[in-house]
Amino acid sequence: MAAEEDDKGYRWETEYEKTWEELREDESGSLQASVDSILHRAKKRQLLERVTNVRLGMMRHLYLVIDTSSAMSDQDLKPWRLKASTKLLECFVEEYFDQNPISQLGLLFSQNKRAEKITELGGNPRRHISALQELPSRACEGEFSLQNSLDLALQHLRHMPSHASREVLIVMGSLTTCDPGDVRESIKAMSEANIRCSVIGLSAEVRVCKNLCQQTGGSYNVILDEAHFKDLLLSQVTPPPSSASTESSLIKMGFPHHSLASYKDDKEKPSMCMCHLDSQSSQGFSTSGYFCPQCKSKYCELPVECKACSLTLVSAPHLARSYHHLFPPEAYKEILTSDILIDGPICCYACHSEIVDPHVYVCDKCEQKFCLDCDLFTHETLHSCPGCASVRSLQNVQATASVN
Amino acid sequence: MADSNEKGSSSLLIIILDTNPVWWGRKKASDEQFSLSHCVDCISVLANSHLMLAHKNKLAVIAAHTDNSVFLYPQYPGKKAEAVKLPDDGQYEVFGQVEGQLRAQLKKLIMQDKEQIDEMYDVPEQPSDSLIAGAMAVALCYAHRLEKECPIGEALSTRLLVIKGSEDCPSQYMNFMNAVFTSQKQNIIIDACILDKDSGLLQQACDITGGMYLKIPQLQGLLQYLMWVFLPDPSTRTKMALPPRAQVDYRAACFCHRNLIDIGYVCSVCLSIYCTFSPICSTCQTTFKILGPQKLKRKKKS
Amino acid sequence: MAAISYRKLVCKDLHSYLRSLPPSVLDKLYHHPATCLAVYRDLPELARHYVMRILFVEQAVAQAVVKQWSITSSEEQLEAAVALMELRVWYEQPLPGGMPGWLLNPIFRKNLSTSLLGGGSPWIGNKNLTPDKYAKDIPFLDKYALERWECVLHFMVGSNEGSDGVNKDITDILLHSKLMRVDDGEPSITAEGFQFLLMDTSSQVWFFLLQYLDTVQTRGMDLVECLSFLFQLSFSTLGKDYSAEDMNENQLRFLQHLREFGLVYQRKRKSHRYYPTRLAINIVSGVSKATAATAKLDTHRPGFIMVETNYRIYAYTDSPLQVALLALFCEMLYRFPNLAVANLTRASVRAAMSRGITAEQILHFLVSHAHPEMMKNTPILPATISDQIKLWELERDRIRFTDGVMYNQFLSQADFELLRNYAKDIDVLVWEMPEKRVIIVTKTGHDDVKKFWKRQRAS
Repeated sequence: MAAEEDDKGYRWETEYEKTWEELREDESGSLQASVDSILHRAKKRQLLERVTNVRLGMMRHLYLVIDTSSAMSDQDLKPWRLKASTKLLECFVEEYFDQNPISQLGLLFSQNKRAEKITELGGNPRRHISALQELPSRACEGEFSLQNSLDLALQHLRHMPSHASREVLIVMGSLTTCDPGDVRESIKAMSEANIRCSVIGLSAEVRVCKNLCQQTGGSYNVILDEAHFKDLLLSQVTPPPSSASTESSLIKMGFPHHSLASYKDDKEKPSMCMCHLDSQSSQGFSTSGYFCPQCKSKYCELPVECKACSLTLVSAPHLARSYHHLFPPEAYKEILTSDILIDGPICCYACHSEIVDPHVYVCDKCEQKFCLDCDLFTHETLHSCPGCASVRSLQNVQATASVN
Repeated sequence: MADSNEKGSSSLLIIILDTNPVWWGRKKASDEQFSLSHCVDCISVLANSHLMLAHKNKLAVIAAHTDNSVFLYPQYPGKKAEAVKLPDDGQYEVFGQVEGQLRAQLKKLIMQDKEQIDEMYDVPEQPSDSLIAGAMAVALCYAHRLEKECPIGEALSTRLLVIKGSEDCPSQYMNFMNAVFTSQKQNIIIDACILDKDSGLLQQACDITGGMYLKIPQLQGLLQYLMWVFLPDPSTRTKMALPPRAQVDYRAACFCHRNLIDIGYVCSVCLSIYCTFSPICSTCQTTFKILGPQKLKRKKKS
Repeated sequence: MAAISYRKLVCKDLHSYLRSLPPSVLDKLYHHPATCLAVYRDLPELARHYVMRILFVEQAVAQAVVKQWSITSSEEQLEAAVALMELRVWYEQPLPGGMPGWLLNPIFRKNLSTSLLGGGSPWIGNKNLTPDKYAKDIPFLDKYALERWECVLHFMVGSNEGSDGVNKDITDILLHSKLMRVDDGEPSITAEGFQFLLMDTSSQVWFFLLQYLDTVQTRGMDLVECLSFLFQLSFSTLGKDYSAEDMNENQLRFLQHLREFGLVYQRKRKSHRYYPTRLAINIVSGVSKATAATAKLDTHRPGFIMVETNYRIYAYTDSPLQVALLALFCEMLYRFPNLAVANLTRASVRAAMSRGITAEQILHFLVSHAHPEMMKNTPILPATISDQIKLWELERDRIRFTDGVMYNQFLSQADFELLRNYAKDIDVLVWEMPEKRVIIVTKTGHDDVKKFWKRQRAS
């Protein structure tokens, strides 16, 4: 993407776009339909652009660097930049773990020319979210330091296993960076360590960030408004294509058994779970929970890395949650309604409604017709084609876990 | 009176009926004497009772067949609504319509199957499982559309009821799970009414979405079970005494032998699960490095 | 001392209306499946599930068993049981062993299952018709119904528009229900009438029909017959024609009345087919116990009112009736061809309240006619507006009048305290003033206090 943008040059150098000419009023004088269809087509284009059939880095280790320098106290995002950012980031963290169940995340922040760690790499979304919620109470002060942040992230990511994808995502409000040495050295180190760095800028494009992203294979974007900010964050949720040098390996994982409190086993004694061991409350003290198959430590939720034997504990549905990244449904073909030779109205296979739009979307495999809404819904949310799922010869046979 | 329809919300019930001819044929032949038409009777009573509960309640019935998903109700929208015949007895006309259409559509489905088989010279063995996931995907799209069409200020609460006799179809695992996670995201509850062997997949689906899972102990009493357990909508369920949740087995089965395993190996590229270490992933053909350094590290730790 | 108070217009819902009917009439009503369906839908949620569970059980079911079906609070269970009792859907009957049990009303059971499963005799005039040469579509019916109904409303406010079609029957009902009264030979609207105008259309129709049903017997018609037909109409399909051929004299007369109100459409008086309109359909569920906060939308007319937090109201309407209704509690500012602008002020709202209109009714009117854009907000009305209107209503309640008797000129502080404490103990003290030694007790307590004082003085 970055290379593409370079060819185009800056937007202000290109020819003037007459964006308003695309808008047409309908009979009732409303622009809504016209705007809707432009939005829909843009979404559709996005889906088409998504590259398929590449290896994805399913096991991600991501450090999120949050700028808390004085630039983040600006009020162009309401109520102020840091508050707005943390709110969106909370949503990002939740979505990240939803889509990448076996990945890990850590938080860093940078202010007063230094970078510090907030949370360690870990797989527990709640811990990160509560840390994020506390962040806005901190005063935004000093300068942002890109080099220090990169170095700190590198220090931790260097030791991560080679089969995992290593990433850094920087949310940067500042237009400057205050570095102790040559930041280009750090950028080089990042690219050598195979760490993908992406930056989301809140103010304007900065050359050094662009360089960083280009060299490490990340993406660099500057937000237009809050909605765009959210879109950019969510685009970081899908796992990136893994770089050629990441190795693949088999990872040992445990699938713990869940035992209910009402289980009729008299010998069962209540025990403390490992996740609430440090807390003072009696929460987590019960007979129910997930037991690590290797060392029998108890946890009240999955996925988690066993504290005692460092085995990754997951349940089968957790793995299933990310299958759709690996086997996304193919994009539908757009066909004009007038080209279809059927008497009478055309009916959408999925939602059972009559298609009145001039375009119909057809799946190449099962040859069923869909309306635009269902096309978007199946590709964005459902991730499987209702038509293909209803035809026996088109079943993917790969994933058959947990069928007894 | 904290009534659901007073809050301006309506309830959509989507029934997915497994119409696998092999299973129903076997059932009919067995001693239990439980036929598809009996089952359709029960379902139409449940459907009508659901419609009777409140004026705004909506209904859809989808058949999950061996090789297709077909809407049994409502009618195909393109077709001109023929002059609907009024019932010649005391039945409410809407209920009569539902019942009539369910039967007519089902008959059409079976006749199509029959024609297909008649045309073929040597009949291949019919699969004994149905494509439930396809029907669920269709149902979710339908629910999505109705939700969009819902007027402002009104809410639609949707639930799926899967009535299934045939076996789980392992090749559908991915589509099935996608449908389950989508319904979880859309706040749609999946209920399962199992007529035969327990279904591991549906157990998980019900547990994840917070629905009811019930294996019918006595098929003759199907209607009673449907009315007692599956008629109340989710908001009412909190008020009713219903069967407790069953324990769900979330263990994975390995891709190589289909054994349930406690500890397994997962391919870092495609997340396939194996019970023993193998140098090549059979799903995505990745070659793995021998777990040298990592294992060492673990040993140091433990 | 009585303050001038207006009768608040109470619109009974179906449940309380049916409850007021004698049991024998109820049983007769349950002979028609449509009534059973209507009654069933009006039951509390829990009660509906109770009925479904025992619909196919022929014997009485032990009360203890029914109790175990739900795990909710006992008040809610009681509410469901009472609702079923009041409407005679079920009644108490001891089991053979002497345990108390519930038995579903056999007539109700039979006819509810008829409507669910079929069997029995067809509904009134359920006959397949040949296609209508002059078939009417739904938009036409909607327009027709609304026009008819607006005629009635226009007549009430006395505007000249379209009041030609109002005949004596309607005038009689309006007078009977005290929505209008005769002044100088001309009917004019009453305070209740204004409250009526502020209701949403379906409540208006239901209220009007209740009043009509009150007068049915004096017209020599059968209440049960009318109600059954009304319920059946409520369960018919919009845009479909039904046959009037097999209807008897009384039913045909009733049909003509409904035609006048706009509940059914008939091309000609003698036509053998009729179309129910949206006013008739689902009439039963049109009157739920909705409050201003959760008010349902007026499905008969698209919303047109926008309310801003600065108390300004924009009404996108060209109907003089709607503008006149707004003017009941607003100060009108501007009129445009399709828009009227008004201000909510303390004076205008108080003026409305002095006419007997309540804050609840104003809020309900604003919500039920809210513009679709407003509907997207939660809450629909800005909180400041709804609070302020309620506060303005409370303002009027600042002074409470109580009848009382004053005791003063006590000779000593001890006497005063003695009497005051006694009055306080028997809870009749209204007011006291120790400095001037004055107390006021309620009128009812006066005798006791007097007796006590006499006894004290005597001793």
